Amino acid sequence: MSIKKEKYLRLTITYLVIFIMFAVILYPLAWIIGSSFNPGQSLSGSSIIPKNATLAHYRELFDPGRSNYLYWYWNSLKVSILTMVFTVILVSLTGYSFSRYRFAGRRKSLMTFLVLQMVPNYAALIAIFVLAFLTGLLDSHLGLILVYVGGQIPINTWLMKGYLDTIPRELDESAKIDGAGHFRIFLQIVMPLSSPIIAVVALFSFIAPFADFIIASILLRTEKNYTLAVGLYEMVAKQFGAEFTNFAAGAVLIAIPISILFLSFQKYFVSGLTAGGTKG
Amino acid sequence: MAESPYKTNHRRTAFALSIIPGLGQLYHKQYAKGTFFFILAASFIYVFADMLNIGLWGLFTLGEKTPRDHSIFLLVYGIVAVIVLIFGLAFYLFNLRDAYQNGLKRDRGERPAKLKEQYQNLVNSGFPYLIMSPGFLLLVFVVILPIIFVILLAFTNYDLYHSPPAKLVDWAGFKNFVDIFSIDIWRQTFFSVFAWTIVWTFTATTFQIALGIFLAILVNQKEVKGKAMIRTVFILPWAVPAFVSILVFAGMFNESFGAVNRDILSLIGIDPVPWMTKAVYTKIAIILIQTWLGFPFIFAMTTGVLQSIPDELYEAATVDGATYYQKFKKITLPLVLFATAPILITQFTFNFNNFNIIYLFNGGGPAVPGANAGGTDILISWIYRLTMTSAQYSKAAAITMLLSVFVILAALWQFKRTKSFQEEDMM
Amino acid sequence: MKKALFNFLMLILMLGILAACGPKEEETGPSETGGKGEEAKPEKLVVWEDKDKSGWLEKVASDFEKEHGIKIEFKEVEMATKMRDQLRLDGPAGTGPDIVTLPHDQIGQVAVEGIVAELDVSEETKHRFSESSLAAQTYDGKLYGLPKSAETPVFIYNKALMKEVPKTMEELYDFAKANTSGDQYGFLALWDNFYFAHAVIGGNGGFVFNDDNGVLDPANLGLNNEGAVKGTQYIQKWYLEKLFPNGIVGESGGSAMDGLFNEGKAASVMNGPWAFGPIGEAGIDYGAAPLPKFADGTPMKTFMGVKGWHVSAFSKNQEWATKFIEYITNDENAKYRFEQTKEVPTNTALVADPAISEDEGAKAVALQSQDAVPMPNIPEMSEVWKPMADALQTVVTGKAEPKSALDSAVKQIQQNIEANHSK
Repeated sequence: MSIKKEKYLRLTITYLVIFIMFAVILYPLAWIIGSSFNPGQSLSGSSIIPKNATLAHYRELFDPGRSNYLYWYWNSLKVSILTMVFTVILVSLTGYSFSRYRFAGRRKSLMTFLVLQMVPNYAALIAIFVLAFLTGLLDSHLGLILVYVGGQIPINTWLMKGYLDTIPRELDESAKIDGAGHFRIFLQIVMPLSSPIIAVVALFSFIAPFADFIIASILLRTEKNYTLAVGLYEMVAKQFGAEFTNFAAGAVLIAIPISILFLSFQKYFVSGLTAGGTKG
Repeated sequence: MAESPYKTNHRRTAFALSIIPGLGQLYHKQYAKGTFFFILAASFIYVFADMLNIGLWGLFTLGEKTPRDHSIFLLVYGIVAVIVLIFGLAFYLFNLRDAYQNGLKRDRGERPAKLKEQYQNLVNSGFPYLIMSPGFLLLVFVVILPIIFVILLAFTNYDLYHSPPAKLVDWAGFKNFVDIFSIDIWRQTFFSVFAWTIVWTFTATTFQIALGIFLAILVNQKEVKGKAMIRTVFILPWAVPAFVSILVFAGMFNESFGAVNRDILSLIGIDPVPWMTKAVYTKIAIILIQTWLGFPFIFAMTTGVLQSIPDELYEAATVDGATYYQKFKKITLPLVLFATAPILITQFTFNFNNFNIIYLFNGGGPAVPGANAGGTDILISWIYRLTMTSAQYSKAAAITMLLSVFVILAALWQFKRTKSFQEEDMM
Repeated sequence: MKKALFNFLMLILMLGILAACGPKEEETGPSETGGKGEEAKPEKLVVWEDKDKSGWLEKVASDFEKEHGIKIEFKEVEMATKMRDQLRLDGPAGTGPDIVTLPHDQIGQVAVEGIVAELDVSEETKHRFSESSLAAQTYDGKLYGLPKSAETPVFIYNKALMKEVPKTMEELYDFAKANTSGDQYGFLALWDNFYFAHAVIGGNGGFVFNDDNGVLDPANLGLNNEGAVKGTQYIQKWYLEKLFPNGIVGESGGSAMDGLFNEGKAASVMNGPWAFGPIGEAGIDYGAAPLPKFADGTPMKTFMGVKGWHVSAFSKNQEWATKFIEYITNDENAKYRFEQTKEVPTNTALVADPAISEDEGAKAVALQSQDAVPMPNIPEMSEVWKPMADALQTVVTGKAEPKSALDSAVKQIQQNIEANHSK
């Protein structure tokens, strides 16, 4: 009896907590969606359920004559997808080396990888600018992508290596005995087994460009080349006239694809992250 | 050859010849390799000579004539030149070593490897280097170069009055570091901001970790229905770009028009709270927001760890009559913490440098009477303010450097203490 | 062996650094700096104009091209901060413009940095502009720009909510008392922002830097004198009596206030002429007037901002760039620009021009300008904003008393000037 009662109580509390968390999570999100349908420009007039709901802000964003939003969207997709592809390729290679080979400086490099991302990098933005200028990559998406990929390498290599460590080495050993070369082992044996962590790395590197409005605003010099983050940030950061509702509409349109991507990758990254980020 | 071909001296001869790259290899009759080395070296010099010249000179002098030389650009050129030079020297070293080693082989009476064997050899021992090199190169230029730049900048006098193109920047030794601790206004601000930075880092991170783990355990209970849906919702805050969420929260916390005061608190009959104008409330607000932003990541990770804990452990504990709390304390928590320690530490360092939330939520404000920094300014946002309003670039670099050294040391110390790092195979 | 090798390589590295002799002198011909004398005619000039303001250039640029055969390329860059920041980066990179436009309070800073060039124009050209606007473009006795337009905050009211413009601040205060309740406000101003607060503080006798015949003395601050304290007390009154809500305090206050006015929830505001456009778009029937005076007849001393045209110091075509800005600021083009952008030019010949005197907004700005003081343009000014904003914010939220808040702000400004501007 008491066990049953206890279980009942426990579950009630559990659902209550979950319900409260739902409210806490969904309320701000609902609020931003609500704002995006509000008439007017400002924050003060916004409410979660707009009285005269309007699609005007979305229409404005989609009108190339009035806003560069579509360009930004396209740029962001381009930058994010390429960043993702390059990161996955490079990180699989580095992660694989760190996991499977013992070479000089391995331990130290791994430590360095973790440490590197702790240095705040925006003080060095001028350096990145000059470098891009030197290589002729100013105002080009390629330059931006390279910077993003470089920044993604340390932490993701770490995750990748952690995951690959959990794949039994016996597999590669036996393939080697069968005469498989280095690349074949890597491509045909190890990579197919690593899809969860590849999904995690892909996701991380895909969303990183959506969150950065600092490096991109230094490297991209013309408004049409902006990424969404820069464009939206400038929309709302303007001192004397925040276009808050437009910003909300723009934000909703970013959040939707990312959320869908996230949710469809969800089952991978629970397993990928666990083994990758930890020691599995 | 002037030297008589005395058997035990191939290695020396080849080594000496390889002072000009390739000659040693040619001497070993490795014609293809020798030619390749020679061409590589020659083209290196041809391509980079100018850049090395200007770069190294620029690094040393930071420019000599004003409209022509832009010190900051020269500083970056200089770093690039040194990196290129180091790559060149690494190749040179490899060339000398190769000549010597093959000489040694010949001295021992073995024949030096043929091209095909060489290739095999290269693939076998060089494979990890080979596949890492693209990533490594990118890392050096995109991540490491800027860090070196900041370190060097900290030792210059770059500020408004020593600012190109009107003026040249000069090396200033440790002046910036001395100033930070000797000029009153800098010192006082530094320590008060530092104190809040520490408090912020620990409370915000601890909250997000605690909430993440707690919810993961909660949802992982066998009896809970609709796990997939619940997990989906719990991950949502992570899916929205953080800067968007922060700006939305900034709107919601507006004292007169924000939803928090106007809709939520008034609904339960609480007077409006001065979220934006009273430091203590702003602090509470940003800690709550960071918890909101940060817990899903921990939640997702912990969920994974929990799923990998075998049920038998709990069953055995239940048989022994352990309570939920005991099971949590003795089984779940240690396992979760052990497994996720490295990532948890990076969460702390992330918040230590969490510029976005401080800057976007309330610009480091609200104002505090008689202080040089805002009520919620952490070191990183304070540095930003310094560079933006006072153009104190070199001092900002110096503080960034101190800050980084501190974080790195703290993190390394923690890593070393973490069990998961002590096992040889981990590293 | 290894050690020796390593040392040997380090030696080469060191030698390399010492031996590097830098660029050869002959490489740096006059082509790089664009020497004086007969300058070759460039193919094109690149102009950066403020955001959403470049429409008028279309016609003027093609006129210039017809006359001189130089193509004009223009691009919109947000002026308040981005223009300067981008010029700093793009200039030395060689991708920058020839001509930029900046608010005059940045002149001191950009002149010290050397990113805009000193102008060499005739007396005749200089006489086109009002003296104060020209002074705003001058730093350390040298002219760095030609005035494009001037602006200063004015009184903007919603004709549906306010029938008659108050003559004095007392009347406005009574009006606000009677018309502020719930979500409705009688009058709003961002007086926690020193840019707007200066109108009150200056009007009561405070000043930023002592002006000694046009030379500003950064060592002599007047922000905690009797007048400044009195002005700040006056500011505090509006907030403590809840005539201004806390929601318009701080970073996001500006957008909150704009929102209230544009939705018809505020009867009047103090704002700059840049607000006219959005207000009109929001469908508000508005009027503009100079700010009401204090009871004893002293006016509000608003800050005047002068936007100017400048020649980039990185430009290789400085002479032609100068010719171009002389061309676009002549009376005819200045008037055309006004018609297109509604930004009020400072050409003296245009003050009485019906185009301006009959435009309600422009007229309000022109009248208010007579009582305005130019924002200080010396670099030390950058140390003033934040401490003053902090002091005002603590005062209006009731956390500090005016006198002590101002004292501490002034102390901070002095310390920062000493720490950051002792050359």
